Amino acid sequence: MTFSLMRGSAIAALVAGAGSFGGAALAQDVTIVLPEQPANLEPCRSIRSDIGRVINMNITETLTIIQPDTGEVTPHLATEWEQVDDTTWRFKIREGVEFQDGAPLNAEAVVNSINRLMNPDLTCDSRSKFGDVELTPEAVDEYTVEIKSDIPMPIMPTLAGTIQVVSPNMPFDEEVNDPVGTGPYTLAEADNEHIVLQRDDGYWGDEPAVETATYLWRNESAIRAAMVETGEADLTPTIAVQDATNPETDFAYLNSESTRMRIDMSIPPLDDERVRRALNMAIDWDGMGEALFGPDVLRATQMVVPGVRGHNSDIEPYTYDPEQAKALIEEAKADGVPVDTEITLIGRNGFFPNSSESLEAMQALWSEIGLNIAIEELEANDWVRYLDKPFPEGRGPTLFQQQHDNNTGDAGFTVPVMYHSEGQYSTVANEELDQIIEEAMAATGDERGELFQQAFAKVYEDIVGDVTMYHMIGYVRVGDRLDWKPDLKTNSEIRLADIKFN
Amino acid sequence: MDKAEGASGPKPKRPAGPLRLVFRDPLAACAVVFLIFIALCALVGPVVIGDLATTPNFRARNLAPFDASMGPAYFLGADTLGRSLAARLVVGAQNTLGIAAAAVMCSLFLGGTLGLVAGYARGIGSTLILRLADVIMSFPSLLLALIVLYSLGPSIPNLILVLAITRIPIYLRTMRAEVLEVRERMFVGAATALGASHARIVFRHIAPVVIPTMLTIGAIDFATVVLAESSLSFLGLGIQSPEFTWGSMVATGRGYLSTAWWVAFWPGLMILLTTLSLNILSSWWRTYADPHQRWRLELPRRLRRRIQK
Amino acid sequence: MFTYVFRRSTQSMAAVVALLVLVFFLARLTGDPAYLYLPLDSTEAQRQAFNELNGFDDPIYIQFFRYLGDLAQLDFGTALSRNRPAMEVTLEAFPETLKLATIAMALALFAAAVVGSLAAARPGGVFDRLATTISLAGASAPDFWVAIVAILVFAVSLGLLPTSGTGSALHWIMPIGVLMLRPFGLLTQVVRGSMMGVLSQPYIKTARAKGVARRRIIFVHALRNALLPVITVAGDLMASLVNGAVVVETIFGWPGIGKLMIDAIVRRDFALIQSTVLVTAVAIFVMNIVIDLIYAAVDPRIRHQQT
Repeated sequence: MTFSLMRGSAIAALVAGAGSFGGAALAQDVTIVLPEQPANLEPCRSIRSDIGRVINMNITETLTIIQPDTGEVTPHLATEWEQVDDTTWRFKIREGVEFQDGAPLNAEAVVNSINRLMNPDLTCDSRSKFGDVELTPEAVDEYTVEIKSDIPMPIMPTLAGTIQVVSPNMPFDEEVNDPVGTGPYTLAEADNEHIVLQRDDGYWGDEPAVETATYLWRNESAIRAAMVETGEADLTPTIAVQDATNPETDFAYLNSESTRMRIDMSIPPLDDERVRRALNMAIDWDGMGEALFGPDVLRATQMVVPGVRGHNSDIEPYTYDPEQAKALIEEAKADGVPVDTEITLIGRNGFFPNSSESLEAMQALWSEIGLNIAIEELEANDWVRYLDKPFPEGRGPTLFQQQHDNNTGDAGFTVPVMYHSEGQYSTVANEELDQIIEEAMAATGDERGELFQQAFAKVYEDIVGDVTMYHMIGYVRVGDRLDWKPDLKTNSEIRLADIKFN
Repeated sequence: MDKAEGASGPKPKRPAGPLRLVFRDPLAACAVVFLIFIALCALVGPVVIGDLATTPNFRARNLAPFDASMGPAYFLGADTLGRSLAARLVVGAQNTLGIAAAAVMCSLFLGGTLGLVAGYARGIGSTLILRLADVIMSFPSLLLALIVLYSLGPSIPNLILVLAITRIPIYLRTMRAEVLEVRERMFVGAATALGASHARIVFRHIAPVVIPTMLTIGAIDFATVVLAESSLSFLGLGIQSPEFTWGSMVATGRGYLSTAWWVAFWPGLMILLTTLSLNILSSWWRTYADPHQRWRLELPRRLRRRIQK
Repeated sequence: MFTYVFRRSTQSMAAVVALLVLVFFLARLTGDPAYLYLPLDSTEAQRQAFNELNGFDDPIYIQFFRYLGDLAQLDFGTALSRNRPAMEVTLEAFPETLKLATIAMALALFAAAVVGSLAAARPGGVFDRLATTISLAGASAPDFWVAIVAILVFAVSLGLLPTSGTGSALHWIMPIGVLMLRPFGLLTQVVRGSMMGVLSQPYIKTARAKGVARRRIIFVHALRNALLPVITVAGDLMASLVNGAVVVETIFGWPGIGKLMIDAIVRRDFALIQSTVLVTAVAIFVMNIVIDLIYAAVDPRIRHQQT
């Protein structure tokens, strides 16, 4: 007691001399500690989580908002929209909104934002969501925009949720680090140590509670957790499962990432359905999931999380049954399938927390049912050679570690690329499946969802095209000053306006 | 080995060999015993308990040390996958020591040879070699690690290559400095005057003086290499799973320091004890190899204290 | 003296150029940067466009000549990941590392000189044993491990220091402490060894016989001569600190050049890799020349035979 008192006063003296340790001094300021420094602050690249977590919906906003739990699209800078014909969508822009630099938000500004995003002289990451589609936006009147595309885009309103609308005064041909948008916050400071956002009094919507937000970054999860614990920071959007030890401050959330091992279906012994089924049945899913990813992790049967349009909750996951798996392998062996061939498990180093441990666990469990598995953990750019078609020649049978993020609310960003015979990542070639996928991509509404559900069921139950693993869980630590809960989108954006004080 | 023995000691019947002397010094003796122990682990360990170190056992996940419930193999606890840490330490010894030893030997040989040439030849060749050392020294080892990892793939020999290249300048420069000094000594001058060949001068006169220094540096550098390898693992550019070393065990276990400290603590302790032992031995060896200091080791303790006063 | 500095400088410049050429070509052996810059679900056409935009699709020798041309105009290129001139970003980060490394090195050197000398005064004594073991132990533990444990103990459990970051004087304590552990351990050994050698020289024995105080002998007469080998080792260690404070910078969120370099390497930001290498290399070369000069100043024998 006396000791702690003495210590307290000694620290008080030190602090008085040196200033506080940083962090939240004022009642309406928050400090957020991120896992990495945002590479830059260019809005057209904000689909990258390091950038998006800072600027999305804080500095720049979008026409529409995708509701994380239902996948529903709701109005934001656009108040309503309609499909004019197959290739044209019409958006009504909210009136009376100004950019932070005073420029009015109107149809021209939206057209400019879309053209800037598509500008070939800029490296815009967010363009990837549109594939190779060509967009021709046009201002019909002051507050109406028509977006034409060269192929039908049934999910244009969803895509509009990824376009950050930026001020027409921002350089069109140059990437910037000082974004100007319509959001409730402006960029006050940015250097190698921190970024500060300041509340903008002219914001068109409700005034948020947080006045200034300071962003810091630390690579080590344990240190981010410690900073919130000691009050140096108020919030960190991601800590490792083993650091999430305090139920009062640490919350789990589905981070919209799903993991799988892709099966190279064209190469024996993986071309045999029994072997693929055995792969799915040989893993102690509950034991491994809890051990490596925490008790809240969700077993995945498909590569999109629940809530996304097209997610099929009727699919029954394979159960852990090593005996049955062993029997399947032996059966295949008896039929002459070369099950002794060495199968390479290709991983990517530092992919996600405990990713290499999961490889080692799966290797051990698959070896137990009589398969011959070797791990090869590669550097990111080396791993990528196996991701896309054409796959490397002479690779032998491979199982390929993959993590996929779909926070757009629509399975159309997942299914074609993963399972259509022409999909970029696809090892599946099934005509029936191709047809379902093509129909789904052209459909809208409930029909679209049902078709994707069919596709997922077919892949998982009939084709057994991959070993789907888990819907991954992130953990946040929130200081007791704040009233804030994470959601599916926390990985890609943290809306300061959602943060309240206790 | 060395005939110029300290004259101040009492006359032993014959000069005590290093092995007998080392056991008179308790600290050095402990170091020797420990190093022999881990060398044995590295040689025999993997054969005896290979499976225990790699098979996951989710029931023993993050098992605390000194917990008897899972049997004696788990007395040091278990890691995230429930693998016995004791077994992993024993198996990891092989990679750890093997990689460090190979890297040290490569860089010692290459750096030593270049340094010898640079010191002996002088002139333009010497300058070139020295600037080469500068280039290697300022080439970021992380970039080198990435280049090798990407273009040659993750493997133990490639890791050794990275570690060896980055350590070359140390040997090169030390060797050169030593050679320069030895050259100037009288006996080399005398030998040259007597018409000895270059090879003879290098191998008969210079090498015996320089090699003990190089070996001492090698022993200290062994520690540096083990730690460098660990840092590479920390940054994700070191040894890749499923291979592991003590260094990579610390690197992966660091995330558990606040919840399961033992995962990173034991391998860290092994690194510390190993490098400490090597350092103690090399410092002992320096004393032993120095004719002016050696008497300290040869005297019985009580006598030594009296002489110093 | 002047000619020596001039000759060394020109040689070093040649070495810097060789280094840059090496880095330029080797860095480009690490795969297609488009895969790391663009999201994984980008199309082939988008990657192609990216490479064309940044000139990565040209033959490598053309890229190299373009780089040389830019260098000649002191244009160090744009750090693609940062949207900013590479040299500007580098020069912002470099002083942070230099400050940290210099202070750590100075403290390590001072502490090592004192502890090492005292240990050498009575080799094999209690203080020697203790000092040797503790300093070596500090140098034998992985630095990231020490750093994280220190944060958990001093910042979280005891609440004495801030966890990380920059700002007050208190923020410097842990990064410097962790950074100086290894130099301190190694230098203590070097000082001890070198001091033991000096102390057995005849002139020290004479001084002792004359009745000069022990402390005075060590710190006044012997230390100056014992420092020679220490300078060399300290120089090498300093070079590795400037180049290798990565781990400490990463953990403590210190905005230095080590962290910048590893980010650039992982992201394949070629211009940034080249500019960080250039700056650290120049710093190391300058330091080497300075060390040689100090060496010559301390030891007259060397003055006339510099290579």
